[in-house]
Amino acid sequence: MASLTLYSVSYDLAQALLGAIGSILPTGPRALITSSDVVTGLAVLVFGALLLAASMLNTILLIWWERKLLGRFMDRRGAMHVGYAGLLQNFADGLKLFRKNTFPPREADGLGFYFGPTAYMVSSLAIFGILPISSGWNSGALPLSLLLALTIFSFAPLFIFVSAWSSNNKYSLMGGLRSAAQMIAYEVPLLLAVVAVIIVAGSFDLTTIVYDQKNYWFWGPLFLALVVFVAAMLAEMERIPFDLPEAEAELVEGWNTEYGGMLFAFFMLADYLRALVGSILVVLLFLGGWTLPSWIPASLSAFPLAGIFWFMLKTYVVFGLFVWVRASLPRIRTDQLLRVGWNRMIPLALLSVFLAALLVTVRCVPVLGCVPSAGV
Amino acid sequence: MASELNATQKPDQIPVLWIARPMATAARQFVKSLFRPSTILYPFERLEDPKFRTQVGVGSGMPIGVGPVWDNYRGVHALNIATCISCNLCAFSCPDLCIDMVTVPGGDPKHPKKCPEIDYGKCSYCGFCSDACPEGCLTMTTRYELSTTKRSEMVYSPEKLNEVFRHKLPMNPIRLELPKNEDSILLDPPLCIGCNACARDCPTQCITMLDIPKPEAKPGEKVAKRIWKEPVVNDSDCVRCGTCISVCPKECLFWGASK
Repeated sequence: MASLTLYSVSYDLAQALLGAIGSILPTGPRALITSSDVVTGLAVLVFGALLLAASMLNTILLIWWERKLLGRFMDRRGAMHVGYAGLLQNFADGLKLFRKNTFPPREADGLGFYFGPTAYMVSSLAIFGILPISSGWNSGALPLSLLLALTIFSFAPLFIFVSAWSSNNKYSLMGGLRSAAQMIAYEVPLLLAVVAVIIVAGSFDLTTIVYDQKNYWFWGPLFLALVVFVAAMLAEMERIPFDLPEAEAELVEGWNTEYGGMLFAFFMLADYLRALVGSILVVLLFLGGWTLPSWIPASLSAFPLAGIFWFMLKTYVVFGLFVWVRASLPRIRTDQLLRVGWNRMIPLALLSVFLAALLVTVRCVPVLGCVPSAGV
Repeated sequence: MASELNATQKPDQIPVLWIARPMATAARQFVKSLFRPSTILYPFERLEDPKFRTQVGVGSGMPIGVGPVWDNYRGVHALNIATCISCNLCAFSCPDLCIDMVTVPGGDPKHPKKCPEIDYGKCSYCGFCSDACPEGCLTMTTRYELSTTKRSEMVYSPEKLNEVFRHKLPMNPIRLELPKNEDSILLDPPLCIGCNACARDCPTQCITMLDIPKPEAKPGEKVAKRIWKEPVVNDSDCVRCGTCISVCPKECLFWGASK
């Protein structure tokens, strides 16, 4: 069981599937479809399907988790009728959106109107091919996986702006402009906070970064970077209090005003996919990924798929933090947003980079003792 | 701009507290509603369920009219057909004209028993009918679930209102004490023909027809052709419904100060 990895699972599934099909076929075709090339080819497809299913399922669960948590923050219960405790409510909502029609505005740019949400969705999904979930549960040893993930993550303003522009609606356009301004403003502190992690871990590889946190998680020594990262990530995910692009009190629904049906569902899903990516990145960079601190008894991580379990638990707790922020803080103004982004966040991020460099140079953490392994 | 803001900054406007204070408030609310949010899951549990009796209603010990008291809610009427005297007062007092008096079994063929039938499509739940009811047989209950898919189902027959009564829902404890009608039914004797209509239709049977002496025929005059009886109203039993006045064919009964 310990050797259960994403590759072995998808290979075994493909082999079992083809074996079952082959067992009812004559010998010639059976030999053909159970050959290693076909099995490997199907395994790649199963691999992709598994990733897709897992990411979509977690996204929908994340929406459920947010609705339940937000309900408790507001002294109510959230969804609770479809499925146990409302678990299937979002599937029902998705089904409803799937059945609805999408009406492009008459003057809309058809290509951009359909390209925007699709590309937004696809680019958000693509990140899940990069993020490691547990040891062995990633798509391969990518030496620059963090950089690649953040690059794809920062495509979003482009697609949002394309769909906002092609909607031919003033509210969409203003939302798109705000989104672009906001994402560009907060991209810089986000990446600078990541630079602090990279300096301490000495690697762009997310798996390596997780294993570098074996002795201590980075949230302690890099607390400033964590604060900057979470704040910038909130802005990148366009969640309250940074949800100016879809400020429903001023702009009708922001850049997705003109969208309905499945295209709106794409936006909605992609928003939560990005929220999931944000939570996962916080866990990977600052909270030790799937590892547990050494003072926790090893028996707690002795069951199969323990890594994924602890990883997802941490992810949902981090997302709960985002929900907590959403339940507490009001939306801020555009000028405040940009002033905080350029005037406060970037100096703080630079300071955190400086602190990280200092940490690596003196190789000593004031709180947690000396760093045993680190450094460029 | 920023320096101006800083100059007028009060000590409790430290930017960190702008974030920390609402987050603490939200966390407190989260912990409070983690076990049980304030929401009552209406179709599955109701405010009148016994487990909420300590929070709302008369059982909470709060004086009526203060706080979340639901016992003075004016909902569907309850009608006790057995004690209804068919006096019509509810229908008279209804400002929406939503009460019809319909015949129910139980009366004799000559004097059918009539009880109120209420159209909830028109009713404004003012409660005047239950205030006017002299026998206390028409009351407002706390039942509030009235939604139907047909307009005809909004008309509650006396039997249906009697069903509501049989469920023994908490009655509205507030009954308006109307100013008592001190007037009595008076008779203009020369006009009366002794037809017995008032005594027949009196819901409380407080009118009795008494014999009066037939006057001697004077020469040259005819004795009036009539029944030599006169109604006498028992004031203590009279509910002042005015049925006798409305049925009198000669309009010889009227309201007036009793002697």
